[in-house]
Amino acid sequence: MTEYLIRRVLQSVLVIFLITILTFLLIHAAPGGPTQMMLSPGLSPEVFKQQAHNLGLDQPVPVQYVRWISGLLQGDLGYTFKNHLPVADLLWPRIGNTFILMGAAWLLSLIIAIPWGIYNSTKVYGLSDQSASFISYLGFAMPTFWFGILLQQWFSLKLRWFPLSDMHTRGKEGDIGDLFMHLVLPVTVLSLGFLASYMKYARASMLEVLDQDYIRTARAKGVKERRVVFHHALRNALIPIITILGLDLPILVAGAALTESVFNWPGMGRWFVQMATQREYSVLMAITIVTAVMVVLGNLLADILYAIVDPRVKLGKQGGKAA
Amino acid sequence: MAKKRKWWSGLLVLSLVGVLFTGCSTNNNATKSPNATAESSASAASEAPAASEPAAGAPVDGGTLVMSTFSDIVNLNPLMINDTSSGDLAEFVFAKLYNLDREGNVKAEPWSLAADVPEISADGLTYTVKLKDGIKWSDGQPVTADDVVFTVDMAKNPETGSPLTSLFDKVKTVEKVDDKTVKFTMKQVYAPFLYSLVQAVVPSHVLKDVKPKEMQTNPYGTDPAKTVTNGPWKWTSWKQGDSHTLDADPNYWGEVKPHIAQLVYKIYADQNTEVQALLKGDTDHISAIPVTQVEAVKANKDIHIIQKPGAQYEYVMFNFDAKNFKDKYGLFTGQKTRQAIAHALNRQGMVDNILKGVGAVMNAPFLPDTWADPGDAAVNYDYNAETAKKLLAEDGWVAGKDGILTKDGHRFSFELQYNAGNSRREQVAAVIQQNLKEVGIEVTPKAIDFAAWIDQNVTPGKFQALLLAWSLNTPDPDSESVFSSKYFPPAGQNSGWYKNEKLDQLWVDGYSTVDQAKRKEIYKEVGKEISTDLPYVFLYQYGQAIGTGPRVHWAEEDAPEPSLGYGQYFHAIKWWVTD
Repeated sequence: MTEYLIRRVLQSVLVIFLITILTFLLIHAAPGGPTQMMLSPGLSPEVFKQQAHNLGLDQPVPVQYVRWISGLLQGDLGYTFKNHLPVADLLWPRIGNTFILMGAAWLLSLIIAIPWGIYNSTKVYGLSDQSASFISYLGFAMPTFWFGILLQQWFSLKLRWFPLSDMHTRGKEGDIGDLFMHLVLPVTVLSLGFLASYMKYARASMLEVLDQDYIRTARAKGVKERRVVFHHALRNALIPIITILGLDLPILVAGAALTESVFNWPGMGRWFVQMATQREYSVLMAITIVTAVMVVLGNLLADILYAIVDPRVKLGKQGGKAA
Repeated sequence: MAKKRKWWSGLLVLSLVGVLFTGCSTNNNATKSPNATAESSASAASEAPAASEPAAGAPVDGGTLVMSTFSDIVNLNPLMINDTSSGDLAEFVFAKLYNLDREGNVKAEPWSLAADVPEISADGLTYTVKLKDGIKWSDGQPVTADDVVFTVDMAKNPETGSPLTSLFDKVKTVEKVDDKTVKFTMKQVYAPFLYSLVQAVVPSHVLKDVKPKEMQTNPYGTDPAKTVTNGPWKWTSWKQGDSHTLDADPNYWGEVKPHIAQLVYKIYADQNTEVQALLKGDTDHISAIPVTQVEAVKANKDIHIIQKPGAQYEYVMFNFDAKNFKDKYGLFTGQKTRQAIAHALNRQGMVDNILKGVGAVMNAPFLPDTWADPGDAAVNYDYNAETAKKLLAEDGWVAGKDGILTKDGHRFSFELQYNAGNSRREQVAAVIQQNLKEVGIEVTPKAIDFAAWIDQNVTPGKFQALLLAWSLNTPDPDSESVFSSKYFPPAGQNSGWYKNEKLDQLWVDGYSTVDQAKRKEIYKEVGKEISTDLPYVFLYQYGQAIGTGPRVHWAEEDAPEPSLGYGQYFHAIKWWVTD
């Protein structure tokens, strides 16, 4: 297991390194740069050329990459080009904000989706199953930003039950109750999306297991249905779900651009979009690195959990999936 | 089991309630992209702004005003400001040498640094500026002539990369006469220079050791703790991407003190989110309500809307460089062809339907009702497809098999570029496409990401035609940098490679005299020539709808003035808030 972990970590480092090169090239291949974002009469483009020169943006891309990666190896994520602010100082609070939002939505949907999906697998096509299907389709089909705007119109502007947007009321930073109120609407929007997929997975995976020979054997032996489901089937049904959860881990830090924008949530998703339009290379690279690390970690975590819940899987030798 | 089922169906009903009870539709056209005019909406009405609630009574001191925007600042250092948000905030924390009055005249107001209007020598070559006594920086140091000289020298130095370069490039020398007096000597008579003095300065005692190359990355302007200011409010804090806090400076030197104790400048994801916040009361002031939402906002009686055409106009720019066309055959070389296009476009229809009547058709690059407006001297192209067809035929265009005009074997088909995310331009581009189709010209509208567009097309002058706007940052009519052949790409802004020697000379004549009457005559001539020759089809002047909530008050003479740059905060020092 230890040997396997070390090997996986080394592989991951290599993968992340390759990702940085690729991302750096891609980002710099996009036309335009962080300097000229405005046109005004009388303003010569030469000014922006000079600004790009002052910021070292006119150097060859490989040179810029080496400068960036050597900074990174010393734990320095660099500075924003437009206003020379340390990227790290901007990044961590946003990761935290996104984590709060996505984590809450993720947890809530898990708590509802897994039991509900499993229940529905035992009562296929019942009313509960039908309504779950309906909600799933809704979750998949409804554009999140549109749903968000609807919730705002109704519950915030009309009924005034919840705040419209932001993470805190001004002057109430740190007030947990206030944070909770601000979470309700965006979490509702995001949960619907998560809920839709997790419920489907839980139901499908459970159905598959319930169809297995050993379950039929257990039932034939007269084992109580409850025991069949919870004792014999559940653990096996959870295996694919755990994989999905591991793969979804990056979403917890990458955030949701549209929902964060609609609710003015100061998180990573909204920030990434802003910074992409402004060509803030160092910020985009920092977000890429963080997301890449999470993807690799998520994969690794899924594999380890797999080994824990499924005794047939042995990590290290031939077992374990390649990341 | 039956019991359980009930429970589930109850849950289903509950979950549906939330979905079905949402009866109102919302515009979800989220636009957020910086652009030539840093906006994505247009609207205005030609009525004077009404005063706020008279019942509000006399001004009260204290309170917090929340203003909003949809993009964060870049840098508050006056030497580096080139975006709307930074310019907005700078209005509150920096005093300028001079300020504009409602009519756009240069004035030494109580909150200006200068004591009196500049003395201009008889030959128009020297400007002498006298500073007020007792003006101070927020760290207690006096504001002196050194600061003005330092600012101008820094701006003129090409290594700084300062957007102010163009304001001072006609200045030969700037000298300190004494602590309170500065003398500018010009290389030539340059009338628009007066407006260059409507400008904030930086503290030389803080920045004197900063190399020009490092001005951009210096924390002055990005770190509130290190940004010494001299305006009515101080920049207290900045939560990046979220908000700024400005507090009234207790040591502010001005005779007129601000009423409002604290300003919060809040950043929203886009204009739609901003409008929602205004309706909810989370923000008290937004600078631009998207044209698609003005009607919805008007339905709310608590919101005060000011609509008036502003200092910006939209146009279609032709490219005169044949290299940009198939087989190097320039489609817009014929003057009659360009005139035909002007006739084919329903400009009044755009104003009525897209701008909802808030705007005015223009025929020259001068704003309607300003002193340089050429009026009837400029050619007005009425919307007339028949005239357009006739002119096209005279220029040698004949209808091809597919109904599209051809000439010398070339189809009249071109691409019209504009920046993605600008809902107004999207609609206008569609109208242009339709209008020109009716006279046999094929237009392909193409929306491009702003940063890429500027880099790949606008700056190098590589496009066939584009739809864009100019936001006029000074009331002076001089537009040489946009139309003169001196300013071809990539170093200049005449992106369409337009060359007209008569106009080139007229622009120079226009700024080479400070005699207003003479200038008026010259710009009349410019208006006549440019509207005949048409480097652009001038579409219309447009405006932004400013919205304020019920907490904000001002006396009539201090109401926002949309026709001025940053006019949405006109005389904000005299506004007050009530709860």
